Amino acid sequence: MTTPISYRLAFGTYEDALRMVGVTSEPRTAGTAVSASRIQMFAATVRDGNRSYWDAEFAARTWGGLLAPPALLMGWLTPPPWEPTGRPPVSAIALRVPLPGTTFINATNEAEFPLPIVEGDLLTVVEEVVSVSPEKHTKLGVGHFVETLDTFTRHDGAVVATNRNTLLRFTPGTPS
Amino acid sequence: MNWEEISVPFDLPEVRDEISYQRVVMNSGATWDYFPGHFDPAYAESQGHPTIFVNTMHLAGFADRIATDWAEPDSRVVRRKMRLAGSIYAGDTMVGRGRVVAKRCDTTVDPPRYLLDVQIDVTNQRGELCCPVELTLQLPG
Repeated sequence: MTTPISYRLAFGTYEDALRMVGVTSEPRTAGTAVSASRIQMFAATVRDGNRSYWDAEFAARTWGGLLAPPALLMGWLTPPPWEPTGRPPVSAIALRVPLPGTTFINATNEAEFPLPIVEGDLLTVVEEVVSVSPEKHTKLGVGHFVETLDTFTRHDGAVVATNRNTLLRFTPGTPS
Repeated sequence: MNWEEISVPFDLPEVRDEISYQRVVMNSGATWDYFPGHFDPAYAESQGHPTIFVNTMHLAGFADRIATDWAEPDSRVVRRKMRLAGSIYAGDTMVGRGRVVAKRCDTTVDPPRYLLDVQIDVTNQRGELCCPVELTLQLPG
C-alpha cells in the first residue's frame, strides 16, 4: 500500500499561484529548541564525527554550545509528523502555493549562516514566496518551479540563517 | 587549519558513503521530513523513482562533512549553494570530490572573516553528477 502524502498541498491554477508571489508568512516558531539529541541524530545519519556536534566541552568553548549542523536548518522548523491537535502538520509555504502538480521535488537550495546556531536556540522562521515559473516540461513531468526565501531568527531577534529554495511542483509523467 | 598557509586550488580527499535503506530511513527520522519518497518504496516508484531517496538536508550534510572534516572542527559552513540534479537512492554510494577554489578575507565586517570557497561534486557510484555544491567555509582568524 502506498502512503498518501501527509503534507497539505494546495491545488489551483498558475494564475492562482502568481497571486501568492510576494506573500510573506506570519512568523512561525519551532515547537522545541535546538537540542543535542537532534544534532547528534542528524550527525549520525550523515556519519559526521565533527567534535562541534559531539564534544560538549569543545563546542561550548568554540561556539557557545553544541553546534547545530548547518545542513539541518530546514529540519528545526519542520513540525513533527503528528501533533495532539490531530490536524495535519503545517506545510511549508512552498506547498501552500496553489498549483496543479500532485507531488514535488527539490531543485536548488542556497543557505547562508551569518551566526552559528547552537543547542538551546529557539528559532523562528518567516517564509516568502519569491517567484513561480511558467509551466515547464522536465524529465520528471510537467510542472512549475516555486522559489521561496526563509529567514530564520533566534529568540534575541538576530538573523542566524537565510534559506533560498526552489522546488519543482509537478505531475509525474513522460514529457510530451 | 591555518588559512594563511592554504594554497589554492587544493583537492580534498575523496569521500565515499554507502547509503543503505536504514540510512535513508534515518534521514526522515533525523530531519522530520516524512515526504513518502524518503521512506516508502511503493510511493517512490509511483513517482518514477527506482526506490526511496535521501533528502536535500542529507546531501547538504554530506557536503558539509567533507568540507569541515578537512578544515577541522573550528571551521564553519557560512554559505552553501546546491543543485539537485539527480537523486541518491537506497543502495547507491555517494561519492564526494571537493576542491578549494578560492580564499578570501572579508574585510566588510569587523573582525574580518577568513573564508575558503570550496566546490564539491556529489556523484553516485556510476559517476552520474547528482549534486554540485558551492560552499564557503569560515576559518578562525
